[in-house]
Amino acid sequence: MNISFSEVTKIFEPDITALIDIDLNIEQGEFVYVVGQTGSGKSTLLKLITRELLPSMGVVAVGGYDLRRMRRADVPYYRRDIGIVAQDFKLIPSLTVYENIAFVMEAMSVPKRIVEDRAKNVINQVGLWRRRMMKPAQLSGGEQQRVAIARALANSPSLFIADEPTGNLDFHTAMEVMKILYAINAAGVTVVMSTHNQYIVNSMKQRVVELESGHLIRDEIGGTYSG
Amino acid sequence: MTTVKYILRDMWRLMKNHWVLGLLTFITAGVMLWILGVTTLFSLNLQNLLQRLESELVVQAYLIGDNTIDVEAVAQKIQTLDYVYAIKIYSPADSLAKLQEKMGSQSRALDMLGDNPIPYNFEIHVHRAEDVEHLVDELNAMPEVEDVVYAGLVVKRISALSRISSRVAFIMFILSVVITALVVYNTIHISLYSRREEIGTMYLVGATKAYIASPFVLEGTLLSLLGAVIAASGILGAYFPGIALIHANLPFLKSSLITDKATIFRFGALLVGFGATLGWVCSYLVVTRFINSITRPE
Repeated sequence: MNISFSEVTKIFEPDITALIDIDLNIEQGEFVYVVGQTGSGKSTLLKLITRELLPSMGVVAVGGYDLRRMRRADVPYYRRDIGIVAQDFKLIPSLTVYENIAFVMEAMSVPKRIVEDRAKNVINQVGLWRRRMMKPAQLSGGEQQRVAIARALANSPSLFIADEPTGNLDFHTAMEVMKILYAINAAGVTVVMSTHNQYIVNSMKQRVVELESGHLIRDEIGGTYSG
Repeated sequence: MTTVKYILRDMWRLMKNHWVLGLLTFITAGVMLWILGVTTLFSLNLQNLLQRLESELVVQAYLIGDNTIDVEAVAQKIQTLDYVYAIKIYSPADSLAKLQEKMGSQSRALDMLGDNPIPYNFEIHVHRAEDVEHLVDELNAMPEVEDVVYAGLVVKRISALSRISSRVAFIMFILSVVITALVVYNTIHISLYSRREEIGTMYLVGATKAYIASPFVLEGTLLSLLGAVIAASGILGAYFPGIALIHANLPFLKSSLITDKATIFRFGALLVGFGATLGWVCSYLVVTRFINSITRPE
């Protein structure tokens, strides 16, 4: 699933300009780090892709569809093809690990047997099978992040959006999460993740898109980040 | 079918995980529907009582003492008036007999009158108390009628009471419905607000609004339905003993109150249906509005 930003500006009323005149193309299967300081516009850029936000000017197109023209009723169907991982995990606190992951498939009316198989698969993939009956509050930050990743993987998405997935994690746990993301990308899934962690960016040289005060100041394949 | 199962299970989860709010909705819906039911039953009984009083209101019209008058024709003319429910003709002899019966041991006093002075007269029943004044005016305008006798003050009071009770009953009904709707709406809104992040997350991971809304709407409907069942059971359980108590202490009200079991059970069923519908409408409105507001992209 390719992504294109064409002269995109995002202004939050009354006068906060989060992104200014962004032009960006991401091809299917790429791994892209979106880097920059806090407040540089990284989360806004990702939320424009997931259609949590709409551009004030310009066009954001994913898979050839202009997201502004997308009907609201079609948004859930669009998101089912995107794995979304938020910095604050966004897990449902009243559900167990298994139920959190099963929920995204159940919302698509996937039959119970298939839900069980797929949930087992992705929980194993993130190494949390023994924690499957626990609720998010009973897990560590790293484990919660892995649940969020497993949930994002449940529908076998073709695009994976992760907003600072390692922001709350120690270095060792962060690297474990990154291994999972690299494995996802190796399977052909487009991964766009925001981070301001230079060690992670520099440990595996991928495409780096750098933002500063809402401007795209660098787009470099095999780039690094000095923070 | 799979989706229905998931939605039912999610509804159960919601009720289990947020049972305090659920209990609050259930109790408030039950109490408000109980008040609504009691108010409505009270109004219905009051209306019944007033209708009975109205049906017992009688206008007595006395004809002039002219033997050439066609009494039947005059009676038919009166019968055709809109307000008239029934008319009964009394001959002078019938009227005297009736008077004698009423006076009992003092009826001998009537012998002093000599010839029977009572002319042909009609006992006229009206549909509603407020019709009496119009009827009296029309009767007075008829050349064949010499005098019209009716309980003017009583008519005015019953008529006023009937009008006021209808208005009060209507206002009470509307108030109870509005308060019940507001309570159900607000408790479901609180319940939704406490889960707003969950709802946002559900939408983010690809659940449709209908899928997210369904368990909440079902929960609201079910809780209101249960509240209505309890309210109706309470009303039905207390109504017949209450009526028996009223009959024992105020026997003159015996035929004026609703005592038909089938009618009261139908009323209970209506209250349950109304509670469930109200719960559904309120839940649907609040859930769709809430989900729309939190899923709207900036």
